[in-house]
Amino acid sequence: MSDAEKDVEKKDVEKAAKDVEKKDVEEGAQKGVEEGAEKDVEKAEGAAEGAGGAGSAADGAGPAKGQDAPGPAGPDGDASPAPDAKPLGVLAAAIAAAPPPWWHWRSLRRLTRGHRRRAVAAALAGALLGGTVVAWQAEAGPFERERACWGALNEDDVADLFHGKRDIEYSQLDIGYDRISSDGPSGRCELRSPRGHRVRAQLHRLDTRFGGARDVWADEYLSARMTPLGGGLLGMVSDTRAWLAVPEGCIGRASERDGPLVVDMEAGWTVYDDEVDPDERARLARAVVKLVNHYMDDQGCDSELTDPTDRLAAPARFSDEKRDAVCGIKGLRLPGSDESSRYDRPLVSRSGGPVRTCDRDVMFGHPRLRLMTVENPRLADLFHGLSFEGARRITAVGDTKDATRGRGFLREDMALYQASCQTGDVTFLIRSDDGDRAADIRRLMPRYVAAEADRIGCGPLRLRLPA
Amino acid sequence: MTGERPVGSSGGAPGDAPEDISVGSGADRPRGADAQRLARVRRFVRTRRGGVATGLVVALLAGGLGTWATDTWPFDGRDQYCWGAWEQDSGPGILGDEGFDGDDGRSRTSTGDAPTPGAPRGECRLTVSSSHTYGDGDTERQHTTVRVRYGPAPEPAAKRVAWLGGYLADRAMPLPGGLPGAADGHHGILVLPERCDTRDGRPTAVTLDAHEEVDADDRVPESPDLGGSQAVAELLVAAANKGMKAVGCADGEPLRVRSAVPELPERAETFSRGPVCRIPGLDVSADLTKETAMRLVYQVGAVDQDLQSCSARIGRSLRLGEREDQPLFDAVMVRQPRLTALLDGATGTRAPAKGWRGTGVFGSDQRLVRAGCAGRPTAFLLLGTPTGATSDYFATFTNAVARRLGCAPVAPATDAEGSRR
Repeated sequence: MSDAEKDVEKKDVEKAAKDVEKKDVEEGAQKGVEEGAEKDVEKAEGAAEGAGGAGSAADGAGPAKGQDAPGPAGPDGDASPAPDAKPLGVLAAAIAAAPPPWWHWRSLRRLTRGHRRRAVAAALAGALLGGTVVAWQAEAGPFERERACWGALNEDDVADLFHGKRDIEYSQLDIGYDRISSDGPSGRCELRSPRGHRVRAQLHRLDTRFGGARDVWADEYLSARMTPLGGGLLGMVSDTRAWLAVPEGCIGRASERDGPLVVDMEAGWTVYDDEVDPDERARLARAVVKLVNHYMDDQGCDSELTDPTDRLAAPARFSDEKRDAVCGIKGLRLPGSDESSRYDRPLVSRSGGPVRTCDRDVMFGHPRLRLMTVENPRLADLFHGLSFEGARRITAVGDTKDATRGRGFLREDMALYQASCQTGDVTFLIRSDDGDRAADIRRLMPRYVAAEADRIGCGPLRLRLPA
Repeated sequence: MTGERPVGSSGGAPGDAPEDISVGSGADRPRGADAQRLARVRRFVRTRRGGVATGLVVALLAGGLGTWATDTWPFDGRDQYCWGAWEQDSGPGILGDEGFDGDDGRSRTSTGDAPTPGAPRGECRLTVSSSHTYGDGDTERQHTTVRVRYGPAPEPAAKRVAWLGGYLADRAMPLPGGLPGAADGHHGILVLPERCDTRDGRPTAVTLDAHEEVDADDRVPESPDLGGSQAVAELLVAAANKGMKAVGCADGEPLRVRSAVPELPERAETFSRGPVCRIPGLDVSADLTKETAMRLVYQVGAVDQDLQSCSARIGRSLRLGEREDQPLFDAVMVRQPRLTALLDGATGTRAPAKGWRGTGVFGSDQRLVRAGCAGRPTAFLLLGTPTGATSDYFATFTNAVARRLGCAPVAPATDAEGSRR
């Protein structure tokens, strides 16, 4: 075995010699090794260092130099390990505190020579410790921590959503496909606190088909209380609702007329329509980004979305509107709006988002009257099917038999027009809770669309309403 | 991850040496000396040096296990390409197993020189090839080339316009996270920060072009698959970081693809009845024969505040044996500040023609104008056929986009259609 050892040493030295490319170095080093092996621990230090210097080929230092310069000075300052914040950092710090030359492999070898049991024990301890640390780091095996909502949220994330409370239970439907996967992937998750607070999350493709849930979804998730998530993301957030589309760079563009794949979250209701709690909003924003990041990670996408909370704009507040500027749009007048109760004041969403919504008289998330421009073509697809409905068609000035600016309809409770703009389809709609405001809708629609089309760069757009 | 630091910090010493020695040592010694030796070791371990040494053995083992378990250095042995900018399996599809179409004869190599402080131009060519033999004996070969270039924009103005337009047109989308550049599935451009500008003030850019070699029996040329726009963005950024480091204009923080590409371009429109690219008044089919008009294809690229593009072409007719589309024009609006900086000095000092706002140059097959638009210098460029028989495509495009952005017309109103809308 001691021959074998020498072979190992020789190999190392030869390797080093190759680097240095000097024959005399090889001889000298070998000599140094042999000498060092025979001597006592303390006395051999210099020789060991010399051999080691060549063995590691740190900087091509010859063994002769090493032999001449014994002592505690290390081969090079750059070899001393830096302290580390991780668990092993403790050891690393201890190592750094020791006089440098001791760590050399020669002394290590001497250290364990003839103590097979101890060496094996050390190796075993190392292996066990290593395995444990890895398991602990990877949160696997006995260190596995429960992660809620498809494995996306750890205990801290959940506690963040529930004001630091850690007694939260959850149930979920795993992310999966329906049998013919026509609806895209979907999954649900619900977090509950014993005090009755609930947060639901859902991954689904927005339904663009007839009879889909688009109206309810649009009412709640495109409301004026929502602030855009910004940063190029298609998503919005308030203190009770959040949604975010999975970036197309990860999952590819949805096929034509499919809605975007989104994660949305709901966290109950509030009666304070214009007061959005920024802390609650930040919590939901962080959570929805984590859910989407986790889904993207599952899909093999490396790039993570960053925490959006710093770039969120201030939430919208009720605005005092002038009589000739309904929803802040100059020249838009609402007939008979003299009775101006507090609840009739409009809430207009901040600019820069995928939609501009003007809600008034909101009851449990549903506005009595809404004027909305869906600027983002992917969201506007939600209304694509709807735009063909209704018998009383809206047309635009300049439409020809071959080419039209878009299509839409007028109803007692709703007017909708989807225009083809440079950016894609844009939907303009005005809707009310009931048919009582048919005259208002009819009166508002052409001017609203003209003004909004100009604002978003789709003008001029003059509509012709059916008689 | 945990173990990386202790192992790495052993500096020049080979990471495997301590393990080899400690495991293989001390065997086959006379038994009689064991007790004495044990006592000596115990004594040794109790000394500070000994304790630390024992700790180190444990730490090295743990670190080794950790690095092995997390598949990091020194157990990975991954190949590197293109000045060490790209690494095997580092994310982009072309660098992973999915980069190979076939199972046989797989090879991935790169050649080229990195930029240096003295000559800040670099080029590298990554070649990925494989082959696949079908059951009927047919063999399909894959030969994908990815060419990445680091350097300043071409000096001649006309060349520069064509160069930039090529990267911004068609299906290119802006790079995510505010990086100044654009990419599609097989080519892209990234403009480096000001500190990397040449001495005469031209920005340095990294460009990437991928190419799939055409098999003789292919009916239509295949486009290379690098793993999507996201992969192209990551390849560009990696090459830019390496190049900047090599040249010495890297700052502490390397560039990063901070988020996924949010949106991809829509499908090319092959059956259109309205104006091309939904741009009011951009009527191309009126200038074509009825037969050709049927084959008109347009691609709406990016449409946002910083970039807009519209590409029109005549679709290839396999019946007539055409293998490629015949391009009509690529129209681009760009006002991302670093991208427009690439056109500095290329726009001349005068209006390109009578009635135009701003400065620009009109050539036979390319047009360029730059004017202030809603507070920012905005460049409009067009490659290919600038005018049809009945209308001026470039003027129509320019004014329609200017209107969308909310600024005054740049081109003189050319026809009734253009001015009305």
